[in-house]
Amino acid sequence: MEATHGMNRTVKVIRYIIIYLLLIAFALFMMGPFLWLLSVSLMPGKNVFSTPPAIFPTFIAFDNYTNVWKFMNFPKYIGNTVIITLLGVVTNIFFSSLTAYPLACFRFRGRNLVFGLLISTMIIPSSTAMIVHYLTIQAFHLSNSFIGVVLPAAVSVFNIFLMRQTFMGIPSDMRDSGKIDGASEFRIFWQIIMPLVKPGIAVIALLEVMAFWNNFLWPIVVLDDPSKYPLAAALTYLNGQFSYNFGWIAAGTMISVLPIIIIFLFTQRYYMEGISGAIKG
Amino acid sequence: MKWFKSESAAAWYFMLPGLLLISIFVFWPIIYGIPLSFTNYSVISETHNVGFANFAEAFRDRDFIISLLNSLTYVIVVPFIQIASILLAILVNRRLPGVKLFRTAYYIPVVTSMVAVALIWSWLLGNNGVVNYLLMKGGLISEQVSWLSDSRTALYVLMFITMWKGLGYYMMLYLAGLQGIPSDLYEAAKVDGAGSLRLIWSITIPLLRPHILFCSLISLMGAIRVFDEVYILTKGGPGTATLTSSLYIFQKGLEQFNFGYASALGLIVSVIIGALSIGVFVFNRKGGVNPY
Repeated sequence: MEATHGMNRTVKVIRYIIIYLLLIAFALFMMGPFLWLLSVSLMPGKNVFSTPPAIFPTFIAFDNYTNVWKFMNFPKYIGNTVIITLLGVVTNIFFSSLTAYPLACFRFRGRNLVFGLLISTMIIPSSTAMIVHYLTIQAFHLSNSFIGVVLPAAVSVFNIFLMRQTFMGIPSDMRDSGKIDGASEFRIFWQIIMPLVKPGIAVIALLEVMAFWNNFLWPIVVLDDPSKYPLAAALTYLNGQFSYNFGWIAAGTMISVLPIIIIFLFTQRYYMEGISGAIKG
Repeated sequence: MKWFKSESAAAWYFMLPGLLLISIFVFWPIIYGIPLSFTNYSVISETHNVGFANFAEAFRDRDFIISLLNSLTYVIVVPFIQIASILLAILVNRRLPGVKLFRTAYYIPVVTSMVAVALIWSWLLGNNGVVNYLLMKGGLISEQVSWLSDSRTALYVLMFITMWKGLGYYMMLYLAGLQGIPSDLYEAAKVDGAGSLRLIWSITIPLLRPHILFCSLISLMGAIRVFDEVYILTKGGPGTATLTSSLYIFQKGLEQFNFGYASALGLIVSVIIGALSIGVFVFNRKGGVNPY
């Protein structure tokens, strides 16, 4: 134990300094690569493999951005990404709410069976799901279409559980009062219940925005036509095409990453709720 | 025909579209994968039943065995992720000005796409890249290392990238766990003269057990099924040094369109994953991480 009050204080200050140094060192480790990418994207003509490597920007110009924007037809790819992401978010909200609502609020035969079956899918791993999805999408004649990209992930068991959790927090007299007024089950759901579960919907929307925006593999598998690719898929393509035009690739990558980072910064509270909901579910 | 207007009927009407999709895209792949494994279904030949031929071939397939071993080696990353993210969670679990900003910074890699992350690291880790430059400056290595194209380092470098991208995610999960531990437990132990390492070992770790189980399980699943990093960065190379089972199944199934064989491989991997996750569960139940 420390002898004097003065020494206690010094120890405390040193402790704080160490903690902040650790926090900053780690922030550099996690954010450094992104800042470096930003720096590369702002220096046209710079080689990332030059010695000594260009770590900090020595000059700033936006040529990489304007050039890659024109060359890659970015508006097209951003459009594709937005359509795929919107479709994915809307279908997930719609289907998972509809499925979760009776599981949370209705009494009916087979409820436990449905619930048990859904849980079992979270335990049984499927290593070949993508192959069967591919065959299914082919059989439905949906390959090379955005619907084909979205459909296999249009609803997930995880989202159903998340919505069920949210619906269970709504007092049952909300539904009863609607029934007394003679409203149909669907009207009660749409006009009374859904407005009450906006936080749950927000969480699903966020998780799915991230998932669909960043997804690259399945779109490449389903879409034969590269002009239909979303950004993440187009970037792997860009990377292969001009592997030595570092500035362009860096700028293209920054353009694809920034929207997600900005969305995350503004909505992290909801997002974290969803993530910690994973543990309860 | 009263049933059609009952509450039960309404429940099924609501669930029908969602359950239909779940059946097609979640149940069906699990079920259909099994009969598919016993056929030679591919784009080249007529499909017929081949019995256990695919499985027999799998065990003779050197690349598949290597891919399995690589995937199992990848599991090494699991304990490292837990230790690093628990320490990180402890570091950010305090009321200090600006600490939320740091948490956000640590989380950024989680929300960005693997395509972007892989690209950045492939540049940083190039022969003339920043990592080699810094390590040589610091005197840690004497000559350039080809991190991603040397068969001795490639798999471990991929693990490092997996870990780097995932740390923030596990940190948040553990942070949620830490915030659920009542602070008077720590106060009482401090009164008894316990030091901070002792506090972590005797209070934090045991009380985090459910979180450790959960995080170990999901990172285990993630490690064995690792795909994106490998697919973007090394395509399994050099040689077969980073060929993981998910990548091999993908190559067989969706690049060579050998659906039957790929399904058989998938089935084998699923059984292994199932057994391993039961293993983790039992290990934790028996108190594998409990110091008592």
